[in-house]
Amino acid sequence: MSLASAPCAAAWAATQPSWQAVLEAARGQTVYFNAWAGSEVINRYIQWAAAQLTQAHAIKLVHVKISDAAEVVQRLRTERAVGRGPGQGSVDLVWINGENFAALKSEGLLFGPFANRLPNWSLVDVVGKPSVKLDFAVPTEGYESPWGMAQLTFFADSRRLPKPPQSMADLLALARANPGRITYPRPPNFHGTTFVKQALLETTANPAALLQPMAPAQAEAALAGLWQYLDALHPHLWRQGRQFVQNQGAMRQMFTDGELLLAFTFNPNDAANDIAAARMPPTVQSWQFARGTLGNTHFVAIPFNAPHVAAAQVVANFLLSPQAQAHKANPAVWGDPTVLDVARLPPAARQRFVASLLPGQVQQPAPALLEPHASWVQALEQGWAARYGS
Amino acid sequence: MVRLGRLSPHITRTGAGLVLGMACVPPLAVTLVALAWWPEAEAWRGLLAHPTFWVALRHSVFSATLATALAWLTCAAWCRWVMRQAQPGRLQRALPTMLATPHVALAVGVGLWLAPSGWLLRLFSPWATGFEWPPGWSTTQDPWALSLALVLWLKEAPFLCWVAAAHLQHRTHRQDWTRALVVAQTLGHGPNRAFALAVWPQLAPRLRWALLAVWAYGVSVVDVALVMGPTNPPTLAVWAWQGLHHGSSVQQGMGVAATWLVAALALAPTAWWWLRGTGLARAMAWLNAAVARCSPSALGLRWGAWLYAAVWLALSVGSVMGPWPFPDLLPSAWSPAAWASVLQAGHTLSDTVGLAVGAASLSVAYTVLWLECVPPQWQRRWQWLLWLPLVLPQVFWAMGLYGLALRVGAEGQWWAVCVAHAVMAVPYVWLVLAPAWQRVPAQHAVVMATLGRSPWAYRWHVKWPMLVPAVWVAWAMGYAVGLAQYLPTLAVGAGRLSTVTTEAVALSAGGQRVVGSAYALVQMLLPLAVFAGAHWAARGQRVGGKVA
Repeated sequence: MSLASAPCAAAWAATQPSWQAVLEAARGQTVYFNAWAGSEVINRYIQWAAAQLTQAHAIKLVHVKISDAAEVVQRLRTERAVGRGPGQGSVDLVWINGENFAALKSEGLLFGPFANRLPNWSLVDVVGKPSVKLDFAVPTEGYESPWGMAQLTFFADSRRLPKPPQSMADLLALARANPGRITYPRPPNFHGTTFVKQALLETTANPAALLQPMAPAQAEAALAGLWQYLDALHPHLWRQGRQFVQNQGAMRQMFTDGELLLAFTFNPNDAANDIAAARMPPTVQSWQFARGTLGNTHFVAIPFNAPHVAAAQVVANFLLSPQAQAHKANPAVWGDPTVLDVARLPPAARQRFVASLLPGQVQQPAPALLEPHASWVQALEQGWAARYGS
Repeated sequence: MVRLGRLSPHITRTGAGLVLGMACVPPLAVTLVALAWWPEAEAWRGLLAHPTFWVALRHSVFSATLATALAWLTCAAWCRWVMRQAQPGRLQRALPTMLATPHVALAVGVGLWLAPSGWLLRLFSPWATGFEWPPGWSTTQDPWALSLALVLWLKEAPFLCWVAAAHLQHRTHRQDWTRALVVAQTLGHGPNRAFALAVWPQLAPRLRWALLAVWAYGVSVVDVALVMGPTNPPTLAVWAWQGLHHGSSVQQGMGVAATWLVAALALAPTAWWWLRGTGLARAMAWLNAAVARCSPSALGLRWGAWLYAAVWLALSVGSVMGPWPFPDLLPSAWSPAAWASVLQAGHTLSDTVGLAVGAASLSVAYTVLWLECVPPQWQRRWQWLLWLPLVLPQVFWAMGLYGLALRVGAEGQWWAVCVAHAVMAVPYVWLVLAPAWQRVPAQHAVVMATLGRSPWAYRWHVKWPMLVPAVWVAWAMGYAVGLAQYLPTLAVGAGRLSTVTTEAVALSAGGQRVVGSAYALVQMLLPLAVFAGAHWAARGQRVGGKVA
């Protein structure tokens, strides 16, 4: 399944029922949606989606709350090992991207290619947002359906940090001036690895090479600048760079406690959402580095042994609808940027997307830089652990 | 009745075999299934060569050793204090409250006090310390694993005291030991030394299993270590857990290998004790000498109880706080949003309570069967089977139970999760019920038999009514343990059943301190209500017994 080329995909599509038949089959089905549950706003959004789906399609959407999508990867491997074939699994839909997707796709653990057949796929911005088809440089080939956009975004209180750093080099200077006030989550944590990848993009001599699968011979040269940078940065970090925070949530908590000068997130509207909920003061501002920060797309995928394939596709299609995407993009709800091409939507649908800037939102969006190929992550994480892991 | 009485030897023998067989099923199945996960040689090599492995191992061994030793000394001091009281004092009554406090809640609460941005420093800032911003101190998640050892000690000491209390309440023991204490004092020893010489050597061996459980817990705990433990690298159990949940199969293989190593580490003292009793005896002798030397006063113990109160206060404030910049003593705004979201998740609450009630009832029913049907000599030989859930790491159990559920097609089913919780609750329930069963004076049975009444009449009219208070307390214990389960719920439940505990851990993984605090409080209040009920029921029974 992993090697599905275009003719294969066409053959697969020919065996699938029409969309009308999928809608029929989906009625009354229950979809177990395994999704990271570490954020109250996201959990509430999924509850909202569940209510809409019950009303419109008679589908029961159950949020299976997990703390890491890698749990699902392991679950699917185990299920296949004991012979749970198509229709006999425990997961219908999973929130996923990057490494986990690369693993599932290469091991043939996904159903599809279903994404390009969803009616709402035609609304997706495949030109302006190339990462909707290229997940950490791995072509999605229809094995996952885009859900939202993410871009590395920093935030800080403007009273304490009036002039935010605009590059990794700026950040180093800031750390030197404010020792112990900056940190990042310990890789292999997702956000921590992202921070390291951003540093890699800004320190490597040949950024284009990062989009190709890593050749072991070139790894050392490509990563040399990164280790140099981190060697310089770490002594000025929180606890002299000997300890790191566990995850983004801990970093954000330490930021609101005043222990850290700044924090970062993958959701550009994160701070705006926290300001709207009075969890952060309105003086907090978000920004991206002027020359761009890492951006990617997060997706939903259907496991190879999902018991309710039809309803899972209907859910994926609903999550792509202008109604669901606009509600999600509202900073007061979740603030997760849309994957749709808003300009191409019919006027009525376009109006759903809030245009005015709220406090805490990014004022000047910077270009989204493509993620390095997933194969680089292993080398990064191993090298990091060897150098700074204890 | 008479016929049943005559048949009963056969029935009892078959019943005993069945009950014993049931005790074998979970550990055997778990071990077999887990063996299927035996990692390849490459994973072992990768693990041993990993740059962070040895430090992670050191963190685990150090924090578990320190916490176990401190808990042991605290328990000895507490027993000495209880022996001197005529009536069980307030400290004894505080034990169930401490036991009902979930580990993670305690860790979060201690963190709210001790962290560089915590209340302790806010109390003195900026007027005394001059800090406008939290200092860069390593007071929590320190690289030496001291704060982790502190939380483990605070949590495990009440558990040991509680096990010891079951023995101290035994009427014959108490009389014998009080007499021995008096004799030792008349021989000229001070009260501390008299206790260490005359009482502790008799009491300590009875706490061996509990001590091994405390060690095993300290080595294998994941959730507390995530909140309080060192981060770079974390303890070996967290290291293993993170490896198991990594997308790459290389990392997962190393995670499995590390899980096996954690299991071996947890079982090491048990094995040592079995193979060479003398070695552990020597370690015990050394600890006993320490017990004689150090003498924390009742005042110090009382501080421990106050510390729990401080933790609950911090969690209460934490659950309604808005923004709370350092060094303000109180949040700048309050918000009931977290409690609103707890109340909205009504099905989570009902699932939690339903599972806990089921697990408590199952585990109590099974333990009563065990105590009634299995002959005493078998009980002595096979009781370690019941203990295994305490001494084997949770990750190991979670892996095994999940594999088992997957093979019989029961994953995600309510009853499967309920049985998994019950298996984890049995050792705790057994801890309450076994001493109570031993306390029943044997002569009652003889008297009933000479009166021509059947064994069942004896059980129904004499024995069981005496045991009702203990059954209530055991049920409350089973309920609390079932409620606190995290890994088995997640693994066997296929993530579909969410309880207050899984919710609390998922939210704290995302750093959502406010909602996390609210859930931690609920997680604590649910068992507390049942403990209070059990206490009330048990007291009512005792008063009734006296009148009769």
